[in-house]
Amino acid sequence: MKRLRYFIQRTFLNMIQSPLLSSATIGTIGVALMLLAFFTLIVLNVQNLTRQWSREIQVTVYLEQVPSTTKLQQWQEQIEQMPNVGHVTYVSQTEAFELFRKRLGRNDDLLDGLLPEILPASFEVELTQKFRSGHGAELLVQELKKNPAFSGFRYGQDWLKRYDAFVFLLKLTGALAGGFLIFATLFIISNTIKLTIYARRDELEIMTLIGATPMFIKIPFLAEGALQGIIGALLALGGCHALYFFFLKRGLSALLTTTAAGNITFLPLSVQAGIILLGFVLGICGSALPLRKFVRM
Amino acid sequence: MSMIQMCRIAKIYDNGVPALYDIDLQIPAGDFAYITGSSGAGKSTLLRLLYCADRPTRGQILMGNRNITRLNARKIAFLRRQIGFVFQDFKLLQNRSVIENVALPLQVQGVSVKETRSRAFELLQYVGLEYKMQRKPLELSGGEQQRVAIARAMIVRPKLLLADEPTGNLDYSLAQEIMEMFFRINRTGTTVLVATHDTEVMRLLPQRTIALDNGHIISDTRPTDVLSKTAIDQSQETV
Repeated sequence: MKRLRYFIQRTFLNMIQSPLLSSATIGTIGVALMLLAFFTLIVLNVQNLTRQWSREIQVTVYLEQVPSTTKLQQWQEQIEQMPNVGHVTYVSQTEAFELFRKRLGRNDDLLDGLLPEILPASFEVELTQKFRSGHGAELLVQELKKNPAFSGFRYGQDWLKRYDAFVFLLKLTGALAGGFLIFATLFIISNTIKLTIYARRDELEIMTLIGATPMFIKIPFLAEGALQGIIGALLALGGCHALYFFFLKRGLSALLTTTAAGNITFLPLSVQAGIILLGFVLGICGSALPLRKFVRM
Repeated sequence: MSMIQMCRIAKIYDNGVPALYDIDLQIPAGDFAYITGSSGAGKSTLLRLLYCADRPTRGQILMGNRNITRLNARKIAFLRRQIGFVFQDFKLLQNRSVIENVALPLQVQGVSVKETRSRAFELLQYVGLEYKMQRKPLELSGGEQQRVAIARAMIVRPKLLLADEPTGNLDYSLAQEIMEMFFRINRTGTTVLVATHDTEVMRLLPQRTIALDNGHIISDTRPTDVLSKTAIDQSQETV
C-alpha cells in the first residue's frame, strides 16, 4: 500500500516537476492521435455514405407471364430463402403501369389507350448488406436464371461498376493513408517519449546508484507514460470534436445546400474508447522500450 | 575482517580496450584509502566494479563474505543500498529539493516518510545545510552540492563509501573541507575509498594510497611508508 502510494505520488510529481517535458509529450500524443481520430471520423462517415448508396442496389426480375397466386408466393418464398437476399417485393403489371405513369408526370397522356399488360410483372429483390456489390448482384442473377420463368434481369450494371470502382478506391486510399498515419503516429509518439526519457537519463542513473530495483525505477515512468497517453488521447478527442463541429458540421452545412452535412456523425463510443486505449498502450509501450535501454544496473 | 577483496581482477571492455590487469587488493573494514593514478589509469573502472556497474572479465570480488562478481539486477540494487556514492559531478536530481535528494535512498527502501524526513534533516544538519533544505541543487555552490551528495550517501548508514574524484570540481579549501568530512565519516566505522588524482589533498591528509598505472597497481603505500620514502628522497637529494 505504501509502495502504491509512492508510485502514484511519484507519477504526478514527475509530471509537475518536469512540466515542459510532460506537456511536450502530451501535446505530441494529442496532435498525432487527433490526426488519426479525424481521419477515422472521415473514413467512417464516407463508409456510412456508401452504405446508404448501397441500399439502392437491387435486382429486378421480370416474369415472362404472370403465374397463379400460389406459384407467385412459392417463387417469392424461394427467392427470399436465398442467403444473399434481404427482402423481395412483387410488383404486379398494374402497379408497374401506375408507377410508369407517375414517372411520366405531365406526359402521362402518352399511356392513354394502353393496357397495364404491356409491362411485365416483376420481383424487386434487395440484397443483404454483405452482397451489395456488382459481384453480389451477379451471383444472385446466376442463381435466379435457373428458373426459366424469369425472363429478364436488371440491376444497374453500369452504375454498379462505377460504385464498385469507387468503393475499391476508397478502401485502398483508406488502407494506405490509414496505415501511413498509424505508422507516423507510432513513430512520432515513441520517439517523443524516448527523447523525454533520454532527457531524464541522469535521474534513471541516480536511481540505480542509490539501490532502486529496475521495477521500482520503471513503474512511475510507465505510469507517467500511460497517464500522458490517456490525457493526450482525451485532448485528441476534444480537438477532433472541435474540428468535427466547426469544420464538418457548421462549415459544410454553410457551404452545401444538401442534407449531407446533417448526416455526418461523430466517432462512435467504441472508437473513442479505442483511441483512449491506443493512447494508454502507446504511452506504456513508448516508455517501456527506452527504459529497457536506459535502466541498466 | 576484509571489507573488500579483489583476486586477480581483469577488466577488458567490449570494444577490446583493457582497463585493469591482475588486480589483487584487500581493503580491511573501517579502512580509508586513496586510489590514485593519471587519467585512464583505471581508478573509475575499479570503483565501477565495486558497485557492480561493470562486471570483471576475470577474477573474483568479495564484499564482506559475499561474492559480488555475478549478481543479478535485483541483488545489485540491494547491494548498493549498503554503499554510499559521491561523484565529481554530484549526481543530484535538479528538479528536486535538497532534502528530497538526501531522502531519496530511504524512499527507495520504503522507509516511512516521517523517519525519512527526520533522518534527512539530521544529515543536512551534519553537513551544515539544513537552512537550505528547500532549495534546488542548482541554487547551491559546488561545495554545497557535494555536501548534499555526502548527506545522501550517509543516509543509509553505509558500510562502504565510494567517492570518485569528489574534489575535482572544487577549489582547494572546499576540497579540504570535503575530505575532512570523509575522515569524520570514516571515524564512525565506514570504509572509505576515494579515487582522486589530487596530490595536494593526499599530501596534506595522508592515508593508504593505492596507485594505478595503465590498469596495474604500481604501489600500495601507507602514510608511514610515504613518509619514509619522502625522507629517503630528501636524504638522497641532500647527498
